[in-house]
Amino acid sequence: MAAQPEYIIEMLHITKEFPGIIANDDITLRLRKGEIHALLGENGAGKSTLMSVLFGLYKPEAGEIRKNGEVVRIDDPNDATALGIGMVHQHFKLIDVFTVLDNIILGAETTKMGFLQRREARRKVEELSERYGLHVDLDAKVESITVGMQQRVEILKMLYRDNDILIFDEPTAVLTPQEIDELMETMRGFAREGKSILFISHKLNEIMAVSDRVTVLRKGRCIGTVDTKDTNKQALSNMMVGRPVQLEVVKSPARPGETVLDVHGLTVPSKVHKKDAVHGVSFNVRAGEILCIAGIDGNGQTELVYGLTGLEKPTHGRIELCGQDISHASIKKRSQEMSHIPEDRHKHGLILDFTLEQNLVLQRFKERRFQHLGFINQPNVRQYAERLIEQYDVRSGQGPVTVVRSMSGGNQQKAIVARELDLEKPLIVAVQPTRGLDVGAIEYIHSQLVAERDKGHAVLLVSLELDEVMSLSDRILVMYEGEIVGEFDPKKVTVEELGLYMAGAKRDSAGGESA
Amino acid sequence: MKNGRLSDFMRRDGTRTVLSSIVSILIGLVVGAIVVFVVGLTSDNLTLTSAWEGIRLIFGGLFSTGRDSAGALTFGFNSTNIGNMLFRATPLIMTGLSVAVAYKTGLFNIGAPGQYLMGTMASLMLALAIPSEVVPAGIVWIIAFLGGILAGALWGAIPGLLKALLNINEVIACIMTNWIAANVVTWAFDVSNFKNLVESTKSSYIYKTTFNGVETPKMGLDILFPNSQVNGGILIAALIAVLMYILMNKTTLGYELKACGSNRHAARYAGISDRRNIVLSMAIAGGLSGAGAALYYLAGNTEFFWNTYTSLPATGFNGIPVALLAANNPIGVVFTGMFMSMLDIAGTQLTSLTAYNEYITDVIIAVIVYLSAFSLVIKMLISGRRKKVRAAQPGSAAQADASGETGSGAGPMPPAGADTGKGGGEA
Repeated sequence: MAAQPEYIIEMLHITKEFPGIIANDDITLRLRKGEIHALLGENGAGKSTLMSVLFGLYKPEAGEIRKNGEVVRIDDPNDATALGIGMVHQHFKLIDVFTVLDNIILGAETTKMGFLQRREARRKVEELSERYGLHVDLDAKVESITVGMQQRVEILKMLYRDNDILIFDEPTAVLTPQEIDELMETMRGFAREGKSILFISHKLNEIMAVSDRVTVLRKGRCIGTVDTKDTNKQALSNMMVGRPVQLEVVKSPARPGETVLDVHGLTVPSKVHKKDAVHGVSFNVRAGEILCIAGIDGNGQTELVYGLTGLEKPTHGRIELCGQDISHASIKKRSQEMSHIPEDRHKHGLILDFTLEQNLVLQRFKERRFQHLGFINQPNVRQYAERLIEQYDVRSGQGPVTVVRSMSGGNQQKAIVARELDLEKPLIVAVQPTRGLDVGAIEYIHSQLVAERDKGHAVLLVSLELDEVMSLSDRILVMYEGEIVGEFDPKKVTVEELGLYMAGAKRDSAGGESA
Repeated sequence: MKNGRLSDFMRRDGTRTVLSSIVSILIGLVVGAIVVFVVGLTSDNLTLTSAWEGIRLIFGGLFSTGRDSAGALTFGFNSTNIGNMLFRATPLIMTGLSVAVAYKTGLFNIGAPGQYLMGTMASLMLALAIPSEVVPAGIVWIIAFLGGILAGALWGAIPGLLKALLNINEVIACIMTNWIAANVVTWAFDVSNFKNLVESTKSSYIYKTTFNGVETPKMGLDILFPNSQVNGGILIAALIAVLMYILMNKTTLGYELKACGSNRHAARYAGISDRRNIVLSMAIAGGLSGAGAALYYLAGNTEFFWNTYTSLPATGFNGIPVALLAANNPIGVVFTGMFMSMLDIAGTQLTSLTAYNEYITDVIIAVIVYLSAFSLVIKMLISGRRKKVRAAQPGSAAQADASGETGSGAGPMPPAGADTGKGGGEA
């Protein structure tokens, strides 16, 4: 081998059009051997499209792909695999009822006369998992292991196929902070071994921590590639959004008023197991403050919100909203004083097959201005939808008549936020309102929540992101295993301290327990 | 720019739906014609000529006017055929609406036959029991009509209740209530005194409603289509179809029903009572089937065979292909209902004018209906092909990107493109 080419993969002048939009406009991306190269951009900037082109899922209209300096054709994922390109999709491609081992070897099975040679495969997988510290139980069914484990299975799948160009599509979106750290370590290990990594993300912290270089995309265009060590979070986010972005939430000190929500001894059963998911939780939220419930996913936050909003019936406890006992009230009754940005935007937040305007009036279609004698007042609905779309900058293909299913995740979330905040209720329950959103949208939603607080509304924020918890909240409650284990002032507590409470290593005896 | 407008028109969902229905009807008719041809060749009593005649009748049976003196088939305006087609379309349109409305709200109403039977029983009994000497016949008609709707609605509400309260699948509940209805109706007429004892050959039938002077007004249609059974029922059915279209698309009730059908969780989240709406939707569906029965039997000269009811009325089941073919659009149902009854007429023409026996015509109709139900597949093919042309990529991959969503796919919705990668990614 004479001159080793500098780049292992080059994507040159890639242009990919979809009806009505240019998803990738003359994008050039060069990946060095053994580097971790981050691909940064807002939702809809074209990151996934570019990676899909590389993985053979889309065919670009223009441009070429080179490997080690030679032009290659990638028509489908099989070609990509043959070239050593592997991808961990954001949504895992695993078969739930198969074992981990079967999932790893699926499609690349070693066989002898048509019979599976599991023992040989197992040896190879075991060796790989030992080498990279990716420990999984090979005989467990995928459905019974955690999301973090499932991701390891996906990574092992790539390694099993001897891929040396690894694409990670938003790998951290589903992981706990600890799992994120482990993943970062694994990625560094791959890079040391000479594998090249493309890392799609819009989380600046992670990019700063792990990547060697960053390519920033904005609205389908390549804004530039920079060395991570020569840049900082602020500069990157400005590149990504195209304007100076406020990374820190600006807010004045809270001026809490009277109690809006008072929860006493709330117990909510779990759908998954026999025990109570929320166990005797007491707290209150006052007007003009943002109370944040922090915790690792699955510690009862979801069920607590279900209990408050009426999606689930609490077994014990009392909920008072604006002085009224709503412990047994219907969802409709509760929503008179409460708006709710739900955790699962596809299950609860939206009717995906309805149009945007139909979704924007989901709770209000019975109001006098939207209907008369049971007939929908279409012009008013349209007008209202147009105002919200304008005001909250919800982007979609065809405006009010866009079918929501076809909108991007970020804009779907914006639509929900627009709808809920415009209800102007005294209490706003926001569950992971910025999950999966990009910096620009997060900035916007954060500022909106602060604005709601300043209007004198009470905000109950449930978040898994410690950054968000620390910057946005006026008061923090930590939830662990269905109980509130501590209450903190964000100005006086450190992230490390919170982490200990979240992991169950520490707890205040005073916090939350009650009869 | 003419091309642009055409492609715009082609891209509209409605256009595609109508187009795919027409294509699948044509495919159905062609395959039906092939069956006619094959049967014609293989039967001893059928010649190549009669096979050709059979094919012509399949396509043009509605306009068949018999044979001329030379024995050749003649075609033209046939008021009897068209009038009868409209008459037989009436209940089909109603059961089609029943299935379509339920489907729009996320429910599969396979209970139309049972609801239709209950509607039959209620409307016939009311029409025969209320003496028209005391109450004017027109009022009796209205009472019987409303009674039919109510009986159908109540019967439809049962699976609705079971689904809403006990989460029992509506398909299973509907199948069982169908047979309960069959037996209830048999029993009810068995112990009643509505059995036709006057005309001795008709002893297994119920009196026609004309015995009590009750019949659907003709509304002038008998002048347009003389010598046929047609009456104002078809106009009422069309009117109900329009009302259903308005209900589903223009009212808050329709919005609620569709919201529950599309995403029960989101509807509940928004404070809409999903249980109430499931029951309501099934009741409306049942009411429509019941109305279909009432319109058919209140015509005055239709006879109901009550004796030992061991099968379910085909009209109820035929509502399913009628609705499917119309892509569950209430207005479309009017046309597909007429198409189905046209096949019926073509079948009778085939039987009476050629040596094809009536069972073969049933087979042919079944083939056509079966293939017509492929309209969804056809629609997918139409859409898929168009996308392939535009984007030069597998149809499924284009789905998520129709609006340009190419971002990092935040949230739990996987980009459809990624799905196509699955097989390859693991290969």
